[in-house]
Amino acid sequence: MRRTNRAANRILLTVVGLALLGAGAALIAAGTLPGAAETWQAIGSNLTDQARALATSAPLPDPVRSWWLAAGVVALLLGAGLSAAWLASQGGGRTPRLAEQADGARGRTVVDVGLITAAVQEALNGNRNVLASSVTAWESRNGTALRLRMQARKGTSPRELADTAEQLVQGIDAWLGHPMPVLVRITSGARTRVSSSRRAR
Amino acid sequence: MTQDRIIRRMIRRDTHSSRSVPSIVAASILLVTFLWLALESVLWLLKDQPLLASPAQLRQWLLDLPANTIPAGMTAAGVGLGLLGLLIIGIAVGKGRRSRRALASERTATVVDDDVIAAAVSSKARLAAGLAPGQVTTTVGGRSVRVQVRPTSGVPLSLESIKTALDGELATYALDRPVRRDVRVLNEGAVGQ
Repeated sequence: MRRTNRAANRILLTVVGLALLGAGAALIAAGTLPGAAETWQAIGSNLTDQARALATSAPLPDPVRSWWLAAGVVALLLGAGLSAAWLASQGGGRTPRLAEQADGARGRTVVDVGLITAAVQEALNGNRNVLASSVTAWESRNGTALRLRMQARKGTSPRELADTAEQLVQGIDAWLGHPMPVLVRITSGARTRVSSSRRAR
Repeated sequence: MTQDRIIRRMIRRDTHSSRSVPSIVAASILLVTFLWLALESVLWLLKDQPLLASPAQLRQWLLDLPANTIPAGMTAAGVGLGLLGLLIIGIAVGKGRRSRRALASERTATVVDDDVIAAAVSSKARLAAGLAPGQVTTTVGGRSVRVQVRPTSGVPLSLESIKTALDGELATYALDRPVRRDVRVLNEGAVGQ
């Protein structure tokens, strides 16, 4: 879930994949085609000569020597910055705060997720089909959304759990006064694996 | 956005991978490489000792690569890089479905793990046929629910009752992707249940 930009991930991964594919193709060509080694060297020295010519065309005093060399370092740093931005764009958006209402000068009302968590845990306390539950909230494009996770006992019908969840959500709706988007996740987990299924009685 | 579209979007986002793990790995490697190259360039400009290799040494190494490496080695490295590239493109372009699916629900977006469905189907089939735990195994795949039943030796098994029970159970789930139910009875039975 979260606020990851999924399209960006796909596009950037495709670019990385294509770059690797191109490098691989160049290596294969250099390894198999006759005369490829010479071409490789020729292209390489040609590029070096051009870079040298470029570097001397915009000279600077000694430590840096050329504007172009400084530009190269800046380009590398820019690349590093873009990678960091890509890294930072993963996930995010989780919030401890469910709803907020400002009442002018009289103050603000804030509803924390902990309130809903406690209520859900209290409601599911006697339910033997739910081994564990958790509630989180995150900011999505259409306001704050709620995620209700329930760990099912082995063999429990997901329909039964979904109906339980729906009742809980209706309770939350009535409580908060305005319905919010809810994602119900019925999962298995570590405790599911060691739990025994309920026998029919 | 209407309620319905919000729910569909949440389901879509939860049942499909965000590809964040490969992105984090790729971005970290790129970040380290860029920072290292920038540092080496600065050290080279200041005529300082390089950390690992100066840009001039790197250039020379790249130029001499075909001359210094045996062709088979070059080809093998190229194939390796190409396969890695194809794998990453596959991750990026592929569907990225996770093993979970949506249940029909009026109010919420409800997403269930496939193994929860499998366990529920197994238990339902067991109850319908009166079998012990372990005699029914279920696999939930992309578009199918495959149930394997191992009957008790010497006790007739009513396949029809299992099938009707499972159809009823799956119908109550109303999964967003239709699944084919497939019940198979194994030839060898379990003894002494």
